[in-house]
Amino acid sequence: MTASTLASPGDTAAGPPESRRQRRKRERLQEQAAAIPVHLYGLRRGTVTLITVACVLFAIFTLVPVAWIIINSTKSQTGIFSSFAFWFSRPFDFFHNFALLFQNVDGNGTYFQWFGNTVLYAALGGGGATALAGFAGYGFARFRFRGSKAYFYVIVGALLVPVAAITLPLYLVYAKAHLINSIWGMILPSLVSPVGVYLMRTYVDLSVPRELIDAARIDGAGEARIFFRVALPLMVPGLMTVLLLSVVAVWNNYFLPLIIFTKNSLYPLTVGIGVWSQVAERSGGNSDLYPLVVMGGLVTIVPMIALFLVLQRYWRGGMLLGSIAN
Amino acid sequence: MSDTALKAPRNAPPRTAAARRTRRSAWSRRRDRRGLAFVAPFGIAFTLFTIVPLLYAIYESLFTSRIIGGTVFSGFGNYHQVLTSGAFWGGFVRVIVFGAIQIPIMLAIAFFFACVFDLGVAKASRLFRTIFFIPFAVPIVVAALMWGFLLEPSYGPITHLANAFGFGGTNFLSSGLILPSIILIAIWEWTGYNSIILYTALKSVPRDVVEAAILDDTPLWKIILKIKLPMVRPAIVMLIFLNSIGALQLFVEPEILSYQGGSITNTWTPIVDVYNTSIANAQYNLGAAMAVVLGLVIIVVSVASMIFRRQRGELS
Amino acid sequence: MSAVSMEALTKVYATGAKALDALDLQVAHGEFAVLVGPSGCGKTTALRMVAGLEDITSGVLRLEDRVVNGVSPRQRDVAMIFQNYALYPHLTVARNIGFSLENKKIPRAERDERVRAAASVLGLADLLGRKPGQLSGGQRQRVAMGRAIVREPAVFLMDEPLSNLDAKLRVQMRGEILRVHRRVGATTLYVTHDQTEAMTMGDRVAVLRSGRLEQYGTPRELYDRPASLFVASFIGSPAMNLYEAALEAAADQCVVVLGSQRLTLAPAGAERGGLGAYRGRKVIVGIRPEHLAAPGIEGAKPGIEGAAPGIEAAAGASLTVDVRLVEPLGSAQLVHFTIDAPEVREDPAEDTEQLAEGEIMDTPVANGIAVTGPRTPARAGSRITFGVDPGQLHFFDPDTREAIDTGR
Ligand SMILES: Nc1ncnc2c1ncn2[C@@H]1O[C@H](COP(=O)(O)OP(=O)(O)O)[C@@H](O)[C@H]1O
Ligand SMILES: [Mg+2]
Repeated sequence: MTASTLASPGDTAAGPPESRRQRRKRERLQEQAAAIPVHLYGLRRGTVTLITVACVLFAIFTLVPVAWIIINSTKSQTGIFSSFAFWFSRPFDFFHNFALLFQNVDGNGTYFQWFGNTVLYAALGGGGATALAGFAGYGFARFRFRGSKAYFYVIVGALLVPVAAITLPLYLVYAKAHLINSIWGMILPSLVSPVGVYLMRTYVDLSVPRELIDAARIDGAGEARIFFRVALPLMVPGLMTVLLLSVVAVWNNYFLPLIIFTKNSLYPLTVGIGVWSQVAERSGGNSDLYPLVVMGGLVTIVPMIALFLVLQRYWRGGMLLGSIAN
Repeated sequence: MSDTALKAPRNAPPRTAAARRTRRSAWSRRRDRRGLAFVAPFGIAFTLFTIVPLLYAIYESLFTSRIIGGTVFSGFGNYHQVLTSGAFWGGFVRVIVFGAIQIPIMLAIAFFFACVFDLGVAKASRLFRTIFFIPFAVPIVVAALMWGFLLEPSYGPITHLANAFGFGGTNFLSSGLILPSIILIAIWEWTGYNSIILYTALKSVPRDVVEAAILDDTPLWKIILKIKLPMVRPAIVMLIFLNSIGALQLFVEPEILSYQGGSITNTWTPIVDVYNTSIANAQYNLGAAMAVVLGLVIIVVSVASMIFRRQRGELS
Repeated sequence: MSAVSMEALTKVYATGAKALDALDLQVAHGEFAVLVGPSGCGKTTALRMVAGLEDITSGVLRLEDRVVNGVSPRQRDVAMIFQNYALYPHLTVARNIGFSLENKKIPRAERDERVRAAASVLGLADLLGRKPGQLSGGQRQRVAMGRAIVREPAVFLMDEPLSNLDAKLRVQMRGEILRVHRRVGATTLYVTHDQTEAMTMGDRVAVLRSGRLEQYGTPRELYDRPASLFVASFIGSPAMNLYEAALEAAADQCVVVLGSQRLTLAPAGAERGGLGAYRGRKVIVGIRPEHLAAPGIEGAKPGIEGAAPGIEAAAGASLTVDVRLVEPLGSAQLVHFTIDAPEVREDPAEDTEQLAEGEIMDTPVANGIAVTGPRTPARAGSRITFGVDPGQLHFFDPDTREAIDTGR
């Protein structure tokens, strides 16, 4: 039962090219066919309306901060403080604010440099973490070597260790190994994603049949070739989910860069914006940094939301559940 | 097969278990090593960037650096200090209160919407799903900042709203209201994500079971609470577990809100305490001890809950 | 008055797939009616429409003469047994069985009593405290039945309830279901793809194909007078042998030309029914494997065991074939043979038995099969002559594929 919700590698199989609209329509039809017709539940029309209202309310709740940040990215500092928060005000400073992102306004750093750093950390860290998790998940799922179970439990156990208990000593080690203010100090720890390994092991278990691997072995294929040619194509949806999760994890990471970087040219967005907001608050209304913080926030979230909308169909929320089926 | 095996008397036991074991392992040891090769890259990174730091944290926690005399071994001195620190435990209680309020509210809302999506009741449920998921893509730092602006005591629109409803002088970032504010932020951040996971779990409830319930004339509320809910219980337990671990490590929201004038003490949560102790006050050893204590508490609680559930037969 | 009545019942799914095409079917009170047909022919769809789980695209559905097209399944007073049982996995057997009674707010004492009664009918009395996960397949099947009978519904609907059981258990549960049916006496609509199940269980059997009703009658009728080529090949195991043939246009006799051989029908038989009209035309002729009478090897006189008295086999009512394979079954023997007439197959993919044979056989592939006594001396490679009772032959129109009435 889990296998069907979890692994549908067929999604990625090459078929006749299907347009976006066709796919949407097919998915909608499939979803409809999978759902039990609502009237069978004996719902009253009023209840349905009430439920829809609840959805709308929660959607509003969800979108309020996003709407606020979009609207206020067009305002000057006085506009942010004194105009109605959910409507535009003069002057229309959107482009002015946007231009500020390319300047080192207060000497603490330039937004776009941080943006570039974040992309770099997220791409290398998240991509690397996904690759390592893919290899390791396959290794744990399809090989039994001495201590493999114990190793795996240690890795799962690492989920319980607070991030701080790992990050803090890293800082102390870095101080000795001259990794303070090195991008590697940020990227290398990001490669470790115990959740990713855990998810990939479950995913491989459910979507890469043992028989397939054995058949390839009998055909004389080497283990590396089996992995790349046989297993990997079946693991793609799982890997995409892990990739999304690890990229988000790096993109979100605050604690590690906060303590290991003292040079602001290496900051990722999270730390940079945090510093700005701190400075802005300390200087009261004088710093003119508020529009920058707002605009920076907007430019931070838009790429992530866009990425999610694009990659949504690869998202296998069910992966997080695969483990509990037994 | 060896010659001796061939010459073995006919009524001898057919190959001992030990012999069979060596034969099998001789055959599979080669494959073992290949499996290890797949795990190795992660294993090396894991060792270097998780195990070693963790051990190093434990090691460091056993020392104390003094202004005069440098770093000296102090045994469990740091632990004694942490365990007897009222501020540290105060932070601990705070995150427990935070989790005890935020997680049930969030999961209730998430389960409600997961059911709505699963039933297909709302029109455009796909659109709602996408919208609800948006906060997951927003970095917590930015989420906290946005809410910080909205809740700001002088110009924040939500403060204005509270004033308009007669709650003049409300300060959401004051020491009395900052915990509810952070709960609100956390609910905003995580409800959609949890809801999607529960939705996936609900989808795996076999359709015919629900249809059987319909033919049994089961009212909707009972289908949801008495049939679907018990069937997705493992997913809910897992979410409670993951969210609890997250709650105990609450850091970014209070830290960012403190920049925006929020009333956050240096020991507001255990991790805030760890951060301020080790980075701001440069007492690394003490900070390390705090982190270790926090980790131990998490591990003890998880293992205890697992044993408890196993005893009740929920885990195999 | 029928318990269930379908009139031109049609289902078109949202995808555009037409699953059911103007199905007409009446089930009498207390009757055990079976819907049978290959997978995908619309059996489940029909059943779910009766249950109310699928909307009716067009047509009229009546339960007890009440039109129920728009009535909720909750108010139809039908119980359904699902293919995968659909038990509530987290509830005990007792609560699974009694769940509908709980919903009806029936007092606890009465509920327990009825659950216990149902459980004892099904031999579940000792398992009431278990959860479905701790039961065997057959026990789960019984729990699903218990859940249905405890409600005392007007109609039982069963969707391939035995398909998840192993062969031996299936035979046992067949009897079990019939026993419960007789005891409860409720109208039952039973779906299966297994013709043996249909024939052994049904009071009446409806054969469906691609959403259309091919024939509806007692098992005897389906066996003796299949209305179409499809029913002929679907009912009966091993399946009927079907060949292209021609009827000779002789004036006083009716002769079937089957490859290089000729079968002379008694004149009386030829005049009866509509067969006379096919003189001089092509027909499809069908012979059940069990009606090929075991004679002995070539040269011996064709024996005609079991022919109905009164029907005289005309001289030459025999077929000579080449034996390809003999499969002894113990009580009988399957003789696979080749005859030089073109074989006709109806949906060969549906019949796994035939597929398996095709794999075993060398070329030339056997195109016929006979069931003979266990000691009939047939050997692969030998030639054998079967006696044929012309009264047991079936004729079909090669274009419409419908049966030609021979007046039987
Ligand atoms: N929910 C559905 N949506 C679209 N087509 C369906 C659906 N259910 C069944 N069908 C199609 O209708 C036909 C009949 O299906 P079904 O009644 O399940 O057949 P059976 O039970 O006889 O195997 C099949 O071709 C099947 O593909
Ligand atoms: Mg079916």
